[in-house]
Amino acid sequence: MANAASGMAVDDECKLKFLELKSKRNYRFITFKIEQQQVIVDKIGSPDENYEDFTNSLPRDECRYAVFDFDFITDENCQKSKIFFIAWAPDTAKVRAKMVYASSKDRFKRELDGIQVELQATDPSEMSFDIVKSRAL
Amino acid sequence: MYGGDEVSAIVVDLGSHTCKAGYAGEDAPKAVFPSVIGSIDQMEVDENDNSEKNSEPKSKGKRKLYVGSSAMGYRRDHMEVLSSIKDGIVTDWDIVESIWDHAFRECLLVDPKEHPMLLAEPSSNTQQQREKAAELMFEKYQAPALFLAKNAVLTSFASGRATSLVVDSGGGSTIVAPVHDGYVLQKAVSASPIGGELLTDCLMKSLESKGVKIRPRYSFKRKEVRPGEFQTVDLDFPNTTESYRLYCQRVIASDIKECVCRAPDTPYDDTSYSNIPMTAYELPDGQTIEIGSDRFKTPDVLFNPSLIKTIPGMEGSVDIASSARGLPQMVIESINKCDVDIRRELFSSILLAGGTASMQQLKERLEKDLLEESPQAARVKVLASGNSTERRFSVWIGGSILASLGSFQQMWFSKSEYEEHGSSYIQRKCP
Repeated sequence: MANAASGMAVDDECKLKFLELKSKRNYRFITFKIEQQQVIVDKIGSPDENYEDFTNSLPRDECRYAVFDFDFITDENCQKSKIFFIAWAPDTAKVRAKMVYASSKDRFKRELDGIQVELQATDPSEMSFDIVKSRAL
Repeated sequence: MYGGDEVSAIVVDLGSHTCKAGYAGEDAPKAVFPSVIGSIDQMEVDENDNSEKNSEPKSKGKRKLYVGSSAMGYRRDHMEVLSSIKDGIVTDWDIVESIWDHAFRECLLVDPKEHPMLLAEPSSNTQQQREKAAELMFEKYQAPALFLAKNAVLTSFASGRATSLVVDSGGGSTIVAPVHDGYVLQKAVSASPIGGELLTDCLMKSLESKGVKIRPRYSFKRKEVRPGEFQTVDLDFPNTTESYRLYCQRVIASDIKECVCRAPDTPYDDTSYSNIPMTAYELPDGQTIEIGSDRFKTPDVLFNPSLIKTIPGMEGSVDIASSARGLPQMVIESINKCDVDIRRELFSSILLAGGTASMQQLKERLEKDLLEESPQAARVKVLASGNSTERRFSVWIGGSILASLGSFQQMWFSKSEYEEHGSSYIQRKCP
């Protein structure tokens, strides 16, 4: 466990929804928030939503965690997908929220088995579509 | 597990220059006072001390220690100024104890028996230091629970990042520490002894060489002879120690530094800064001084330590000038010691923290220098909280939030665990 971890609990719903995203692929993305000392599911995106819908679903000045199932085509014309974990902590969020989300991240991420790429973003430019694409390849 | 419902934890960040202490959950530390203390050997002045009416002194064996802003502000015969911390590591635990005592009993007015304690520690703290801190807290203060959190991790978390490169420029040193997923990567930490105090000394010596005499507050009296007109009378105290005189001068010089200094946009050189306009500053004794190129030269020492050699009177620090590296080099060196996979992320989240990092234009200058020296593909981003309190106290604020979280209460190293496993258990509880 990381030094100075917050000890925040994780709601089972988070793991279940993540498993569905991973194996059944019936969600495009899931966002999570921390409420009452535990991480819970915030919003869910259907498979036909795109990356823009996903970024729009993140609040502008509050922190969130999110997983996004990213489909792309490699240089060899191969259809692939990767699961991204994104820690969203905008600079404009309250210090308290930033502290809570950052200190709970390690533990929460461990609960989600199968994340391939991890990203931390503090403003929209750090999780632009180009960056996501370059990290996936 | 420490299971109290009401958690009113105390958070203490003992830095090399200032000690920050306060209640967890608050926005800023309640008590901020110097981490240096005054000490008088008892042998010499035994009679004097009995007659002196002062609530602060505490007897510690053969010496009497004076702690806190007000106790330090009062001049005493033969009082030496001592520091408990050298190169970021505690060397004198008696002094630390006296500082904790002062924080708990005189500033916060709490009984340490009733409050869990979260202590911030330097990233490179040794195992022995941690165990010693745990021992003191549980044995002497009988604290119900304890947690040690690393400075760099607290700063990183408080900015919302679990991975970042923390540049902590404080009073006694500058430490660059990479944090990855909440762990400090110890092997890649780089440190230099150039901090705010050294800059203050540079400024002071440079001004002295130009004929400015900084008179300590105790060495004169000002009287209003006519409304608006003052007369300064020199006072002589032959028994004042050299270290106390220096301490008082530094207090003034450090205020000058905070008021006028600004990191230059490009590396400093004498010729291009010889014609810049002077800035006026009024010293406590009423004389007004004009500060010119030193405004820029002093902060540039952080970027180019060899500048120290050009300042008259800083001969004692020539070692530092030749061995220490500038801030951008430290950052790059530290990042290059990390795994290739995380370098990009570190470059794009460089966090500034500590008192010296609040220097005007420091962030812009560091970003510019790093852009020039970093690999092409890297996206360099230097971040500092816009709020100066948050920047100065980021470590304390991080600790304050953490210790006040309901979910954190299961993480404390409790007194019963200490009694069962001993002080070495701290390494398990607070890795």
